[in-house]
Amino acid sequence: MAQDADNKARPDGVQQDGANRRAPGIYLDNQATTPTDPRVVEAMLPFFTERFGNPHSAGHAFGWDAEEAVEKGRGQLAALIGATGREVILTSGATESNNLAIKGAARFHRQRRPHVVTLATEHKCVLESARALEREGHRVDILPVQPDGLVDLDLLAATVSEETAVVSIMAVNNEIGVIQPLAEISAICHDKGAYFHCDGAQALGKIPLDVAALGIDLMSISGHKFYGPKGIGALYVRRRPRVRLEPLIDGGGQERGLRSGTLPTPLCVGLGAAAEIAAAEMAVETARISALKTRLLEGITERLSGVALNGHAELRVAGNLNLAFEGVDAEALMRALPRLAVSSGSACTSTAVEPSYVLQALGLEEARARGSIRSAIGRFNSEAEIDQAVEALAGAVARLREEGSAAAQ
Amino acid sequence: MPKLTFIEKDGNRKEVDAPVGLSVMEIAHKYDVDIEGACEGSLACATCHVIVAPDWYGKLGEPSEDEEDMLDLAFGLKPTSRLGCQIVMTEELDGLVVELPREVNNMLG
Repeated sequence: MAQDADNKARPDGVQQDGANRRAPGIYLDNQATTPTDPRVVEAMLPFFTERFGNPHSAGHAFGWDAEEAVEKGRGQLAALIGATGREVILTSGATESNNLAIKGAARFHRQRRPHVVTLATEHKCVLESARALEREGHRVDILPVQPDGLVDLDLLAATVSEETAVVSIMAVNNEIGVIQPLAEISAICHDKGAYFHCDGAQALGKIPLDVAALGIDLMSISGHKFYGPKGIGALYVRRRPRVRLEPLIDGGGQERGLRSGTLPTPLCVGLGAAAEIAAAEMAVETARISALKTRLLEGITERLSGVALNGHAELRVAGNLNLAFEGVDAEALMRALPRLAVSSGSACTSTAVEPSYVLQALGLEEARARGSIRSAIGRFNSEAEIDQAVEALAGAVARLREEGSAAAQ
Repeated sequence: MPKLTFIEKDGNRKEVDAPVGLSVMEIAHKYDVDIEGACEGSLACATCHVIVAPDWYGKLGEPSEDEEDMLDLAFGLKPTSRLGCQIVMTEELDGLVVELPREVNNMLG
């Protein structure tokens, strides 16, 4: 019934003609999720049907075959981050990885290191993990950021102490795309013997992330943010010196005892395939996406005045553009552009009328936060799509501004 | 001769003479302290897991990667956990205090 209703043309002109068809429109929301690369899907398919064994079945060839596939995927991911396979714990995604890293490290070291540090602009799952620890009696500091979205290193150094178990700071912000100074952060942490946990979900495949060079002790990874499947992610856990965590899930002791549960072989294969493609194509892809981003930004600013970029102008990933449109409400702008998939805040908070807490943490005045749109360009966007997006955005903003000034008169 | 103190599972403190060159596991066996040591010190299990008094932990050498791998399997792991078979008594360790964990995980059955 619901299916039939969905199949009818909607009044806004968006055709939804059946399951698994991409709705017409331009997808510039690649920081919410990315389509799974067809090459990744291809690699995964046999593991749903013919090669279905339980990778933990040690007694027969079905199990060995699946285990080999899982370990290959693990190795491909490890290679992308400069780690060894044994340092990669496979999870259901970055939310689980962030929970395991932060709660696991803080709880294991609670006696001598009851302190946890993070930033106000972190993902909800990091902030909520920290708040959960606070309710358990840990001391938690959620530090403000600078107006450009970057961590204040002096403030961080003054906050981290011999009592800090873990500092959690993301590599790339999911809303404003800024890249944090990871090597400097890890030096501050290690000076006091604290772990540095980095949420790498938005960074992997976009910027080089070498855990050894950057001094990262724990790093969260999400498959579907870099053209892999949804439902799989990983946590890098340093082995030398050994990083110890209290597990969240009890069971058969899989994944070095840190994450019990049968591994989903097809998803593990997909995660590995996505990592291998990222390793091979990151440099070329970044250049291409960067050019598209410049085209989008210049197209918009040539047609419109009163446009400002949120977040640091240079230290950011290629695909992200978080723009404030003066005098425009982002929700109204998105309603006016049903064929353009963008975001006005992180996806997890977009049902709330509250403006983005990340933009508020930059100290932006509320009107500017409410007038901001995130565009996230990805692997499958074309120049033609960018040009259409420019026309659509510029037209809609101009109309809304006219309506706004007409209403004011 | 150096002294070594075991804090047993019931909280009892047992101070014993600890000959230089013997491991904490071997000394435990000599004095009937309840540490298993199923693999007899060959780094194949974690049943001789002990929790070193925090003040003493830093005075021991760094655990090897093989020891860390076995500690991954230990129950009730603490930040100062070590394997008793890998701590060898020296004159410098005179006064060492180790605590027995409440439970052990014997993967060798």
